[in-house]
Amino acid sequence: MTTATPQLFDAAFVRKLDRMSLLMKRAMAGDLQGERRSPRRGSSVEFSDYRHYTSGDDFRQIDWNMYARMERFFLKLFVAEEELTVHLLIDNTASMDWGEPNKLQYARRTAGALGYIALASLDRVTVTAFANEGGKQLPGVRGRRGAIPLFDFLQKLPAGRGGSFVESCRRYARTARNAGPLILCSDLMDTQWEEALRALTVRPFEITLIHTLAPQEIRPQLDGDFRLVDAEGGDPIEITADLESLRRYEQNLQQWRGEIESFCSGRGITYLFADTSSPVEEFVLSTLRRRGVLR
Amino acid sequence: MSLLAPLALLGAAIVGPLIIAMYLLKLRREQHTVSSTFLWQKMVRDVEANAPWQRLRRNWLLLLQLLILALLVLALARPFFRTAGIAGRNLIVIIDRSASMGATDVGQTRLAAAKSQAIALVDQLPDGGRATVIAAGGQMEVPAASTTDRRQLRDAINGIEVRFGGSDLSPALTLAAALTSREAESEVAIISDGNVTVPTDLQVPATVRYFPIGLQDANIAVSALNLQPSAAGQTLFAQATNYGNAESTRRMDIYLDGALFNAYNLTLGPGQADSKTIEIPAQVRVVEARLDESTGDALPLDDQAWAVSNAGDNTQVRIVGGGNRFLETALALSPANFQITTVPTSTSTFTETAAQVPMTILDGVVPVELPPGNLFFIAPPRSTEFFSVTGEVEFPALRPAAGEEPLLRGVSLSDVSVRRAVTVAPGSWARTVVEGDGGPVLLAGERDGRRVVVLTFDIHNSDLPLQIAFPLLISNIANYLVPGSGADAFQLIPGEVLEVQIDASITEVRITKPSGEIVAATLEAGKALFVDTGALGPYIVEQFQGNELVGRTRYAVNLFSADESKIQPRAELAVTQASGLQQAETSDQNRVGRQEIWRWLAAAALAVLVIEWLVYQRNGLAFLRDRLRRRAA
Repeated sequence: MTTATPQLFDAAFVRKLDRMSLLMKRAMAGDLQGERRSPRRGSSVEFSDYRHYTSGDDFRQIDWNMYARMERFFLKLFVAEEELTVHLLIDNTASMDWGEPNKLQYARRTAGALGYIALASLDRVTVTAFANEGGKQLPGVRGRRGAIPLFDFLQKLPAGRGGSFVESCRRYARTARNAGPLILCSDLMDTQWEEALRALTVRPFEITLIHTLAPQEIRPQLDGDFRLVDAEGGDPIEITADLESLRRYEQNLQQWRGEIESFCSGRGITYLFADTSSPVEEFVLSTLRRRGVLR
Repeated sequence: MSLLAPLALLGAAIVGPLIIAMYLLKLRREQHTVSSTFLWQKMVRDVEANAPWQRLRRNWLLLLQLLILALLVLALARPFFRTAGIAGRNLIVIIDRSASMGATDVGQTRLAAAKSQAIALVDQLPDGGRATVIAAGGQMEVPAASTTDRRQLRDAINGIEVRFGGSDLSPALTLAAALTSREAESEVAIISDGNVTVPTDLQVPATVRYFPIGLQDANIAVSALNLQPSAAGQTLFAQATNYGNAESTRRMDIYLDGALFNAYNLTLGPGQADSKTIEIPAQVRVVEARLDESTGDALPLDDQAWAVSNAGDNTQVRIVGGGNRFLETALALSPANFQITTVPTSTSTFTETAAQVPMTILDGVVPVELPPGNLFFIAPPRSTEFFSVTGEVEFPALRPAAGEEPLLRGVSLSDVSVRRAVTVAPGSWARTVVEGDGGPVLLAGERDGRRVVVLTFDIHNSDLPLQIAFPLLISNIANYLVPGSGADAFQLIPGEVLEVQIDASITEVRITKPSGEIVAATLEAGKALFVDTGALGPYIVEQFQGNELVGRTRYAVNLFSADESKIQPRAELAVTQASGLQQAETSDQNRVGRQEIWRWLAAAALAVLVIEWLVYQRNGLAFLRDRLRRRAA
């Protein structure tokens, strides 16, 4: 059981991450001044709109050229540029702390990479891990300096036990201050995964689901009679693994993935499948870019 | 079905629970931690959709192993069926191979059925049991004597073939009795259709079981076929007899030298015979009578018969003497068509060979050098190497010797008066045919391959030529001295030795068998011998002097045996046994054989074992199949 590796990434990878940034499909409001277009008006160099002056407005923003032409006061409005809050949700239930390479470690590294990219573009990053014991939150870090607490948090993130996935998602959707890009790293090994995703879509998060599975789950190498014990403490299952039943398992897996994918595409969720046997670097630098999550 | 070793079933009670216990132990599965049983649950739900079959499948191996156990235990218990068979450890199988066993009324020939039965009996022998196979019919043979080797027994049984030589069980039963008296637990099995001769005075010291073979009795045979010279040419006498118990109509085809001559429809009631007398040309050599094929005839062997004619190949008879009209007339009356040459008394050298002149009549003369061939001395004036003349006797009374004498067939000599006869002291070769006062009157015998007949009185010194007996006596003597000159002489029964008189100048005798094969006969002391007359049909015997053909004779081998043609199977066979039984045990009493089936059970267990292994390896097999399919695709 790996709780943390000494270092999540090497320096070369971090340098590559510096050149990337998160892509957003639409403008989102933030708390502080930042580099992202906000739906609000604010101070920037980019013209947005005019509006009538009402008393109390900052008269410094009156467009005098308009006044000269129209003899009425108009305010010149500019696009606000604000920070984004990037929500990193890591499923650290016991089922994630499994597989070779370990799924949780994979999620840590993916989240770390994405978090670093967000920090590098002056966005706010919050990391939330939901598991019954070990449910932790990194409240929000900003700027490149925030990378240190972010990595530290991720490295020290333990694997929890079970926990209600739906409940955690619902709670998060209720408590998050600002909607923003939300990156969920999970294996979705929960009968109520649909409920959980639906709970997140209540808020206008821009959700990216990184569906993390270990190769042992994708193609189990079992032969014989087994008693399968659930890592999260569910009822054990007795199976006779032969070629036929493994084939059926893989069919089920494909069908399940298909269900998730169609559910996600119906709700504007970006679905990304991550096989932990392929390196995180490749996943971040190529798959995420290709799928338009990063630029 | 019964069991020989029922205790073996206890094995199942011990091993069965062991297998089940091991299964229960094995069912404690290996633990394997997975991230979540979420996906597996789904799969298990799928699987349980057809649960009964799956549950069975999960226990396939257990079921198969229990099945193997059951089969093996059952095999160890040695179950058997009661069958018609034998119970002893020393078995003597007597297989009847007479002609009637060639009947095809049991789907195959009776002999084939008998062989199957014999093999079944041999297979029933307990381990270490011995068997002797005796082939009865014709010359008795013992192809396998007291052996435990099943293969040898089987080969011996399969090697038996039909023989045409009567069906006398006496030598076989005598041998069987001798063999069984030496060993306890012996049994004699007679496999036959029952048309056999069984000795009445023999007591077999063992159980004799009789396995009857045969179903039908319908059989029509050509029972006689004879060719006689006649004024117009030759007269053919053909007779067909119905040996069955139902009326039947058949067609009889007559072939002359291979070409169809005539056909006759014959309707014969049970046991009835019908005959045809047909005039045929003189030059015909071989006549074949053939009954058309019929499903109602179980024995095809006797549907064909042959008759041969050697007419025209006139037998030369030389008479040395002063001329004897009575003798010449009597010889001319004989059906054998003799060519008579009269030679003056003074002749002293004879150049012709025995093949050319087989018989010489020395009428009151004894030349210095005796001619070759067979001799008929009449009133010899002096002693020869065969006998010595000791004197004369007047008015001897004639007393025929006791017993059946072929020379006196149909002849009564009691009324014959003789005025004067010589007294002769015969050598040991001779037998006295007619006894007179002071010595034998008629002598016959054989020495160094030559047949000699001596009549001690001149026929002119008696009233014999005036009696009816005279031509018959001369004919009989001629038939004896020239074998084959009579009408029956060229008919042989199968297996009979073909014997031809030859003289020293003959270098080779060739025999053409019915199949067309030409073989050389054995030459031995003035005789050519040929024993392989098992096949029915015409035989041609040719005598060679160097490369020159000097004589050709035809013989016909025919079945003509009412005993063999009566193919009605007998259900019982009277064989006296030491136990007091007068009948061989049959049918129901024979249900003492044990047909063990443990071999089949063991083989089935082996097959199930293979299946069990395949089921166990089904993953690997499916994997292989997938790979092959992928490679093929």
